[in-house]
Amino acid sequence: MTWTLRISLLLFAIVLGVVTTIVLRKGRIPIKYSLLWYFCSVIIVLVAIIPFAMDFFADLLGFATISNLIIGILITLLLFLTMALTIITSGQKKKITLLIQEVSMLKNEVHKK
Amino acid sequence: MKKKKILIVIPAYNEEESILKVYQSIVSYNEKNKTNYDVLVINDGSTDQTEQILLDHHITYVTLVHNLGIGGAVQTGYKYAYEHGYDIAIQFDGDGQHNIEFVSALVEPIVSGKANFVIGSRFIDKSMSKFQSTKARQIGIRLISLMMKLVTHKRIYDTTSGMRASDTQIIKEFAHNYPLEYPEPITTTEILKKGYQVMEVPVAMNERKGGISSIRSWKNAYYMINVLLSILMVGVRRYK
Repeated sequence: MTWTLRISLLLFAIVLGVVTTIVLRKGRIPIKYSLLWYFCSVIIVLVAIIPFAMDFFADLLGFATISNLIIGILITLLLFLTMALTIITSGQKKKITLLIQEVSMLKNEVHKK
Repeated sequence: MKKKKILIVIPAYNEEESILKVYQSIVSYNEKNKTNYDVLVINDGSTDQTEQILLDHHITYVTLVHNLGIGGAVQTGYKYAYEHGYDIAIQFDGDGQHNIEFVSALVEPIVSGKANFVIGSRFIDKSMSKFQSTKARQIGIRLISLMMKLVTHKRIYDTTSGMRASDTQIIKEFAHNYPLEYPEPITTTEILKKGYQVMEVPVAMNERKGGISSIRSWKNAYYMINVLLSILMVGVRRYK
């Protein structure tokens, strides 16, 4: 792994950590979601400071270069995250539908009286 | 025998041109035939004069505070039927496609205990309904029918018909669980899978008088893929 890639990764990890902290302090996301991002940030730092581990994994999984492996990991992570978000929004859609129905029926009852 | 409590549920989204005619046709049918069909219009967050018309003519209705689409609107009707103790609920379009004369044919098999769920079908007796939908739609409906046969081993011809009657058991099922997307073919597959008796009776339908079909993406292969996969999913899912 080149020195420049390692420095880039470190910088990226710092930015990710800082952004997460800012969003968290403004109260835009709950702690439980921020943990995931801190975890990602820590992983990236570990990758940057222990390069031989990455050499090993790149070899093991058949990636030609370490940068490819990093991109591969990030894409996989994003896909899983999108899947998780799809599950969350689908659940919310169900709940919103239920709410609209119940509120509408209740409103109808109240107006009748 | 005690007279059955029957509710006609009419989902309406921007149906100002046709909703009053549909309502009046039911009222005059009730007077002529001494029937007791109650009407409930589900105003699915219409942006036109639909609600004003309902209010002016003292029609029973529920206005959804936000547009939910056909599935969510119809389910509200089933919830209402369930909470108000109706024996039979009938889904009826607000755009003038359906004809009140045929509702009794849907009610009869339920009253006599022959079926839990009755679908008004354009395709059983083709001579009855002059309006048969477009060729592309017919092919689509046939494909859905084929998939349902595969999953449930029962043949339903008019898989997307929006004219359907349910008994108390089905009303309860629908009140608790109703799909938001592609509701007609999926609910039919589900209740077949759960072992209820489903029947198709021949009805005539008209071409719509106003409004736009809830199935706008028919030309789109996307709709077909989604429906077919959804039916397949029902087949794979476990029901007790």
